[in-house]
Amino acid sequence: MKKLAVEGLKYKYPQSESLALDNISFTVNEGEFIGIIGRNSAGKSTLCQALVGLVPHFYKGAYGGKVLVDGLEVKTHSIADIALKVGMVFQNPFTQVTGSKMSVYEEIAFGLENIGVPRSEMVQRIDEVLKMFKIEHVKDHNPFDLSGGQMQRMAIASIIAMRPEIIVLDEPTSQLDPGGSEEVFQAVQSLKKQGITIIMAEHKMEKLAQYCDRILLLDNGKAVDYDTPEKIFSRDDLESYGVAAPVYTKVCKALGAKKQGTNTYPVTLEEAEAVLKEIRR
Amino acid sequence: MNSISLYVERNSFVHDIDPITKLIYIVFAILIPIILPSFTISFICVGISLVLLAFAKVLRKTVPVFSFVFLILITVIIIQGLFKPENETILFQIGPITMYQEGLLFALTITLRVINIVSAFMILVLTTKPSELVESLVRKGLSPRIGYMIVSVFQIIPEMMAAVSTITDAQRARGMETEGNFFVRVKAFLPLIGPVVLGSLINTKERAMALEVRGFNSRVPKTYLYEEKTYAHSKLIQSLLLLGIAGAIVWRIVS
Amino acid sequence: MINVKNLSFSYKKTEGARVLSDIHLEFDQRSTAIIGQNGAGKTTFVKLLKGLLKPDIGQITIKGQDIKGKTAAELARTIGLIFQNPNDQIFKRTVLDEVMFGPLNIQMEKSAAKEKAIEALKMAGLDHHLDTNPHDLSLSEKKLLCMASVMAMETDIIIFDEPTIAQDNQGKEKIKQIIQTLKDKGKLVMTIIHDMDFVAENFERTIVFNEGKVLADGPTREVFSQKQALLQANVEAPYITQLADKLGFAGTVLSIGEFIDKVDANK
Repeated sequence: MKKLAVEGLKYKYPQSESLALDNISFTVNEGEFIGIIGRNSAGKSTLCQALVGLVPHFYKGAYGGKVLVDGLEVKTHSIADIALKVGMVFQNPFTQVTGSKMSVYEEIAFGLENIGVPRSEMVQRIDEVLKMFKIEHVKDHNPFDLSGGQMQRMAIASIIAMRPEIIVLDEPTSQLDPGGSEEVFQAVQSLKKQGITIIMAEHKMEKLAQYCDRILLLDNGKAVDYDTPEKIFSRDDLESYGVAAPVYTKVCKALGAKKQGTNTYPVTLEEAEAVLKEIRR
Repeated sequence: MNSISLYVERNSFVHDIDPITKLIYIVFAILIPIILPSFTISFICVGISLVLLAFAKVLRKTVPVFSFVFLILITVIIIQGLFKPENETILFQIGPITMYQEGLLFALTITLRVINIVSAFMILVLTTKPSELVESLVRKGLSPRIGYMIVSVFQIIPEMMAAVSTITDAQRARGMETEGNFFVRVKAFLPLIGPVVLGSLINTKERAMALEVRGFNSRVPKTYLYEEKTYAHSKLIQSLLLLGIAGAIVWRIVS
Repeated sequence: MINVKNLSFSYKKTEGARVLSDIHLEFDQRSTAIIGQNGAGKTTFVKLLKGLLKPDIGQITIKGQDIKGKTAAELARTIGLIFQNPNDQIFKRTVLDEVMFGPLNIQMEKSAAKEKAIEALKMAGLDHHLDTNPHDLSLSEKKLLCMASVMAMETDIIIFDEPTIAQDNQGKEKIKQIIQTLKDKGKLVMTIIHDMDFVAENFERTIVFNEGKVLADGPTREVFSQKQALLQANVEAPYITQLADKLGFAGTVLSIGEFIDKVDANK
């Protein structure tokens, strides 16, 4: 079932001369994990923001085409309405903390209070996400006192507590250390298991290759390709879009080691190991 | 992260009283001595406040605030006692310095008023979380946006202070002197304040987006994580305080 | 170039928790990566080298001189430190002015400062942006600008704090070139970094910090072969190293090139 549909989306920021998004179309099925890749300024963040309505409602600017989230047209609905369907997590863990709440517990409640969730249900939802993202032990801490990884998991928890069916994450681990990123990737994986549709812009190709069902390759505001990680990372012209394939794919490409019976190269550690073992025999 | 709020967590009935009642108490404590200007009344008001602060077990926390207030008030007493134009009656003389009764009494009145107001406010500030106060105002109809701005200042200012120290380090790393005479410090001002202002603009934009996706502008009626704080005798205390103010006005007119 | 003896430091003088304890390190010309989890003391360590913090115990000498009593500004001629977040330092209205700020602070002549600034901006690939307002640049360009603003000061020692964060593939390639150029100029390049594949490819020496102590130190290949230490510091080996291990290659592989050589040699 189609959960998200983008049709001929075009967008230009106010005061800008060029299109930030140029005729992008793609659809996402329910429960899929989609990666968005491309060089900096390719349009990844703008696209993420267009899925939750920050583009165009927050920025204004020229807008064409359609984004449908679960049947709801983004352009004609308020961000608050869209937020019930699709949540978003940003790069910087610090600026996502509201700054108006004294504890992690209250911080998670912020969104629920805004959308009018009754108190008894609120408490139940908060307890649930605290457990899900393993931040129960810090629930009474001041949000600003958490580590980067914890803060980012709190941001995800705050969004998931609002029960959206889709979550958009814009480079959620770019400012974290490896331990913190791993925590976040684990958390995102648990979302996938619950059937939540996930869209994630990210530079860590090895991670995307491991978790994604499909990858959208952007360049210069245009969608270059939208396919499985194997197909995308096996492209010969990948580097011309400012993207480096996972190390595993690079090495197999150099050795000409394709996955058996396919025309694509391995993209994860396990796949590469299997293919290369075969070759060495 | 330090919060700049002065709230002290304690277990007392003063803490249990709701913020609105405390606000009405402040109005009461300010108005009564104005309506009935006598030393006795002022002393009684200050006394009530101090007793409440003692019950709230926060009396010690008031010491730094009071010492700061006293420091200012002492200068008022000296200046008024020595130089008030209406000064006539000599109280005492130390060398060339003469202290007059009129000035001193006037200064004492001011002092009492200030102490009275400060103590009443301290009851609110020391025993109420800022977020709780704002939340009760929002429930009474204050715009949630304004409420958010007030509360977030308490946490975002300390965050900005932290940013200032990082920025100082970054500029010192590029050879800028921050220590030294006045001129050196003035020269260092722009390189420090520039990034602070621009940084907080960038942060504000990002934070505004993060708030939006969490339904900040939702038109649905807001709910609250915590039940409204109600104190069993709130209504009674509030009525007594208002009655007190009304009584004082009547007394003033009649007598 | 740098000699660190018996160094200890804590932020809160009253509480026992030391951020760094008993660090002994010597730095020569080798490019050096400092790795470890957040909170391991890496940033504190480089701030001490730079004189932004003062040690509780111990001594730091740079080029034979004890840095005790020297301010960070005085040390700016010898040692450059590039902070992680560019928004913490940018304040001038043009890219060129921003880069000239440092050189002018250390009393360089205006013409010389301009020359050095342009040279540094060329290295950072921003020399076509001299008159641009720094805030119109993207975050990754801003990071490169900050690197230029320190490189223009021509210090013998340059320390980066997380240079690859927020960089895409092209940005990383640029930084790789910058590090190589600085190495060729005989400068000591040091960096705090989380990107292990980048470390493996670009740094001769690696130091692992864990809980305020040096857990491992040596040539990068040697350090990445110490599985136990990496595990303890919660640091993963580079992806290529992991793959080679899985396939049972002898020794520690640090780059795709090495990996391919090993495969070819086995044929």
